[in-house]
Amino acid sequence: MKTTGLSAKRHGIDRREPGHVMQLARLGSFHQSRLSFMRILTRRMQREHWTFSRPTFNIGDDGVGHAVYCAHGPTHTYSLIAFAHDLPDEQRSDRVIATAWDATFTLFDGVPTVDDIERLSHQVPLQEAGRVTETELSISRANRSVRLWEHVVACLANGQQPDQDQLTRVGYLMRTTAVYGSGKFGAADREVVETRAEFTAPFQIEMLSVFLTRTFTRDLVQHMASVSGGAHAVPLESALARIIGIGNSTGLGMAPFILNHPVLFNNWILAREEAIAKVRQIETASASEVSLFQELLHRSVISASRWHSVHPHQVIKIQQLNRDLAALDARIQHMHLSGDYPWDRLYHWATQTLSHEGQECLASLLLEPYGHLVDELVDTMSTDYDVGLHIDGVRTLANLKNDLEQVYDWALAIDWNLKENNARVWYVSKEKLEPRLGERFEEHIEDYEQPLSPGRDAALLFKAIQNWPSNTSIATFLLRHPEHRHTVRRAQMALDAPYAEIRDNTISESLVPIDMLRCKLSFFGAIHFDPRSDRWVRICLYANAPYPEELATRNADHWPYPEIEEAVACPTL
Amino acid sequence: MSYSLNEIEALCKCAARGSGLSWGLAEEAARATRWLVSDGLPGPEMLAALLELNDRQLVSDVAPESLSDVWFAPLGRMSPIVAGAAMSDSAARISEGESIVMQNLTQPLLVVPFAASVARQRKCRVMIAWDDVGMSTDGYTLSMQGNPRTYTTQHTHTLICSVGAAIINPLPTAFRGHLDTDSWACLSEFAGRTYAPATAQSRASGAGADLDNND
Repeated sequence: MKTTGLSAKRHGIDRREPGHVMQLARLGSFHQSRLSFMRILTRRMQREHWTFSRPTFNIGDDGVGHAVYCAHGPTHTYSLIAFAHDLPDEQRSDRVIATAWDATFTLFDGVPTVDDIERLSHQVPLQEAGRVTETELSISRANRSVRLWEHVVACLANGQQPDQDQLTRVGYLMRTTAVYGSGKFGAADREVVETRAEFTAPFQIEMLSVFLTRTFTRDLVQHMASVSGGAHAVPLESALARIIGIGNSTGLGMAPFILNHPVLFNNWILAREEAIAKVRQIETASASEVSLFQELLHRSVISASRWHSVHPHQVIKIQQLNRDLAALDARIQHMHLSGDYPWDRLYHWATQTLSHEGQECLASLLLEPYGHLVDELVDTMSTDYDVGLHIDGVRTLANLKNDLEQVYDWALAIDWNLKENNARVWYVSKEKLEPRLGERFEEHIEDYEQPLSPGRDAALLFKAIQNWPSNTSIATFLLRHPEHRHTVRRAQMALDAPYAEIRDNTISESLVPIDMLRCKLSFFGAIHFDPRSDRWVRICLYANAPYPEELATRNADHWPYPEIEEAVACPTL
Repeated sequence: MSYSLNEIEALCKCAARGSGLSWGLAEEAARATRWLVSDGLPGPEMLAALLELNDRQLVSDVAPESLSDVWFAPLGRMSPIVAGAAMSDSAARISEGESIVMQNLTQPLLVVPFAASVARQRKCRVMIAWDDVGMSTDGYTLSMQGNPRTYTTQHTHTLICSVGAAIINPLPTAFRGHLDTDSWACLSEFAGRTYAPATAQSRASGAGADLDNND
């Protein structure tokens, strides 16, 4: 495990306890932060003076064709190849079972030749049904937001700017429904590029692909407006364009990721927890640090006010967040933030006063003035492929018992014989090879159960070792009980990776799967989570971010917080 | 066809599980296969053959009866996945100078990734020998000596694993696997056993699609 930059406890202020952090209700309230993957990328691209070009925009009047967007870093160039399609309305679906999309993409390692584009034009539009090669780093697809697309095209074609409120409310012109990397469907494995500095942090390939995709959607809508309006068409004003992000629909397929990559997941959470602890350990805050915190708090209030959802679960959480941010704003008016460990005092107040939403929003906000202290933690957020995979079989069952009691105390306290605690089954469907969640006592799916219930499995293991002599080696036990091998590995892994395990029941009747999705997506940097059921969620990426041509001149870091004064000329429609 | 290492590992894990191995052993099988592919060796083909041989076999029949003295399985042929995992679990024994001897082992090449695991855990070099083959690994690279045909032998009477010698002429690292259609199909068939057939209920609620998704 990487521990670069991780500190010991200071002034009695330590990282938050795993048992406190790793509960689904809290993980499902996480917010983006300085350590989010999109912000890591935009900071790097600005710092390294990346340049961008669009060598090809071969889109016809019917909106069909392809375009190439190149991102030139210090040592490598990466190209988004975008294929635009004519998709009948009735085929437009965000579900993973869809087979056609408005646009499909691949991020190419280098600059593609004509032959590369020809080859990929037969594969990328097929997505899962196609094959790509080691020169392709990701494949993805996107559908138009019917609500916004037509409005923006019509306005621009008629010489008017689109309605700012509509842009803000919807947030995106297109939403991606999957961005596949790491060797999927023949693409390059992470090992191929992981030594390149720009890809050492997690999910940077995917974040770059989406960054360029956003530019493509802006250019495509402009193109269609020009086709429609001819000489009457006007360009989309840049301030309005910046409001537009990229939507994303994410389903259950993402949830198992954080269970299947426990060390990686630990490293994300550990970095954030370490960052929070570092800031809480600060004894005195400067005026400029307090000022930046206050500014971004006010901008968070604006962001929260623009967060809409009709899902009852989220409606309540958004209301709580709005109340929490108002309370937080009132609180900092009346407390001295300059000395006596101000951020720790504020955080303690929040734990006594605010909901999970407010507490986690504050935890992320605390990091903002302290990039010089916390940004180095980015280097600890990845993991090598084989870390934590081996089992120390020389240890005894007595050791294992202690380990289980330490990591899974919460699970050992659950009565797993009760149906409500054991109600769900994670399985993979034959139809689409995607993770699904089923009802154990209503469907015939238990035989297909995936190992995604670490708590239940730890309790089973704990019971199994009771009758064995405590000095038996784990290797000997596993020889007779290979069914517990997966869980022994997790338990040992969690000893060195305190935040590896979700300390909550992932097969409970009351499980809310979107909590798992939100946690992962918050590390991407997503905002405005909009659950569409308890199993899939829409989000917005890169809203308010600079476009490639603006990276050199605009703030490449604080863009997730909408600016307070957005004086955008917007004619009445 | 050319496959990524992730594709190969993912398929092999499901295939091993589909053949009846526990998830924990399936993970071992998949990682071992991936490790061999990254050295340009035919791991998936060997795993496919192993899974066919031991399809739904009781694991205890092909597992070492004991981890002391010479390792052998009750059935008279020992699984390299089960024995290899047990050897990796016992890494300290090898680094402290003990040799592990396995008798009547199926697909001995599949044990090599577990020797590599020992080497990585203990930061040592490990030597694996069977028939006229000698291999040495530091956990990351592999050197091979002997008759190349024996590398992929289906069965060996005796395999010995111990602290090893220097790595000479290590195999180049590969980032892709090139599998024949039959092996891929075989592994896919095993993997298919882990996928639940779709039902009306699973289509309706398994992934959740409550609200309109075309707006």
